[in-house]
Amino acid sequence: MKKTVIICLLSTLVAENYGQSEKLLVPSDLKQQTVVTEPVTLRKGYFRAGLLLDYRVADRFFNDSGEKEYYESSSFGSKAAYGITFQYGITDRFQIEVISEYLNKLQEKQNTEVDSYSNSSTVTVTKQKGLGLGDSHIALKYQLVPEVERTFSLLGRLKVTMPTGEKNPKNIKSENQFDLPVGDGTFAVSLNLSARKIVYPYSFSGYAGYTYNFRGTKVFDTGTQDEKQFRFGNLFETGLNANLHLNEWIVFGNEINFYSEGEGEIDDINLEPPPASLAFSYEPSLIFQVHRFRLGESVRIPLLGKNVPADPLFVLMAQYVF
Amino acid sequence: MKRTYLLIILSLASAVMSYTISGQKVVQVRDKYVLLTTPYNHRPLTLYRGQIQVSAGYKFAVRAQSFNSEGELIHLKDYGTGSVYHYYFGELRYGVTDFMEIGAVTNFLRRGIRDASVTIVNVTTTASERITVNKLTESKGLGDFFLYGALRMPLEYRWFDFSIKGGIFIPSARYEPQKPANTVRALSLASETTTTINLHYKNKNGYGVPVLLAAAAAKFTYDDFSVEAEWSMRDPVKEGQSIRWEETLTEKVFNYYDRSYTYLLSRTFTFDAALHYQATGWFNLSLNGSWFKTKGGWTEYWGNRYENPEKRLINLEPGFELQISPGLTVYQVAGFPVSGKDSDAPFYLYTTVCFNMFPLRK
Repeated sequence: MKKTVIICLLSTLVAENYGQSEKLLVPSDLKQQTVVTEPVTLRKGYFRAGLLLDYRVADRFFNDSGEKEYYESSSFGSKAAYGITFQYGITDRFQIEVISEYLNKLQEKQNTEVDSYSNSSTVTVTKQKGLGLGDSHIALKYQLVPEVERTFSLLGRLKVTMPTGEKNPKNIKSENQFDLPVGDGTFAVSLNLSARKIVYPYSFSGYAGYTYNFRGTKVFDTGTQDEKQFRFGNLFETGLNANLHLNEWIVFGNEINFYSEGEGEIDDINLEPPPASLAFSYEPSLIFQVHRFRLGESVRIPLLGKNVPADPLFVLMAQYVF
Repeated sequence: MKRTYLLIILSLASAVMSYTISGQKVVQVRDKYVLLTTPYNHRPLTLYRGQIQVSAGYKFAVRAQSFNSEGELIHLKDYGTGSVYHYYFGELRYGVTDFMEIGAVTNFLRRGIRDASVTIVNVTTTASERITVNKLTESKGLGDFFLYGALRMPLEYRWFDFSIKGGIFIPSARYEPQKPANTVRALSLASETTTTINLHYKNKNGYGVPVLLAAAAAKFTYDDFSVEAEWSMRDPVKEGQSIRWEETLTEKVFNYYDRSYTYLLSRTFTFDAALHYQATGWFNLSLNGSWFKTKGGWTEYWGNRYENPEKRLINLEPGFELQISPGLTVYQVAGFPVSGKDSDAPFYLYTTVCFNMFPLRK
């Protein structure tokens, strides 16, 4: 009897010890992974909703020669975009994503005109606002080299941009008084390839993508208000990303990004086409993972460029996995 | 014999009892990880002995409004004269003892303020001429080095602390403005001439004279809540001298000449009072009220001394402190102007990353 009791006790102890050595991964744990440890696409059946806020003030720009310049005339411009994203894992390797945004654009100018003959002055105030739904995107992501059982992945992404935002200036009262457009007014398709390697607590990735812009029509001249055929230049983008776990739930992200956009076209010889532009920027970020909730903030700092804004872009992000 | 046994038993019992009782006491472990992870509500006002703290900060401010001399809020963006302000800061602190620290601070700022553009129109029967004048005043450069020492009460921090601080801004920055970079662009089309004059003034950073600082701070803690208040005063040691650039325009070419002038910086007072809540050991929330005022001082124009306008500003600053690892802490504060007088009233976001270490402690 004693022997039986001892054997039972020993078996229980052994079972207990064994049970304590194994870490069970349950679905709720998988939903709490950070940007370093999570797979590059959502797992099958997982759904993630997110909010994005980005904000920029127009103060300086890179000119055609690549020099940083202040806007010289008295003007103040700002742009805030409130984005919403929905991501869903169709399979463990295939994800669909829907992105849209609400834009708040502001452009204010003032000029005092003094008539030297009559010695009278006229103050012209230009206040332009653009409020409303911007363009929307659908993105499909597929793991060409799956991350399962290894720490390397290759991802392909196809993104389609739909012109859901108002493309033309509205409420036109004069050449200077109107509501700014919040959409580009054209469809676009982009293909992107990215590779990632996890070396915990780090993850490294690189990407390259190309965007083709289709032709569209749009009002460029608020005087005539005629829609003109146009096409934005195609865009090539590449970048490198290095993320580091500062502790188990905070990630310090680093990204360098380069893009080059070709010269656009407008079917009107009186209008200047959108110039070719390029930018090289650095984006540090802090991303906090609190259970299924993710909060991040980052600043995109333009370092070099041509015909692009030179002001930092502030981004706040919140996501939740259901 | 019985007495001997009784004495031995009593001695043993008392030894066991005293061991048990002393074993229940919280042992004051002072290894560096305990000190580095001390939450805000248990931390004294100065660093611990041997502690080195290196901080780097960035303040991004949107100057979309200001307060005029009557204290009314002016929306600068409505006049197209809003701007942004980038301020970078670096600080090195060292705890000489548990009650004394020394430190050095410097900063770099960059901002460009646009004045309202003016166009002068001159129309005659045969020709018309439009001259537009844009003015931009840029300020950019490394600031003065501020060296200081701080002393606190020579007691272990429990619920109250008091400190005093004194320091000097060494006029190390190249504070004199650079030569302006004005440009003229003219375009003639038949009888119509359009000229754009861009005036671009280039100011630097720094006081130009030594400035003394005296400050006092107090901190109270009750459970997870703390209140910290700090008062400070900055006063210039002497009058300063600088230059002001002026220009003449002849045949689309600017000629510059500088004129020297003297000035006396205003005396500056600040008072901050903050309520802190220690949500967990690694996360502290705060709401700070900041008051700023300048008084006195003058600036010379054309040989006459004009008193500097008195400036005042009150800001509300919600913020947090987040301990990421024993050595690394992030602070973030957002600033909202509430009231003021003759002062810019920017909204700002101030982020500071702090690295702490005890290089000589195990």
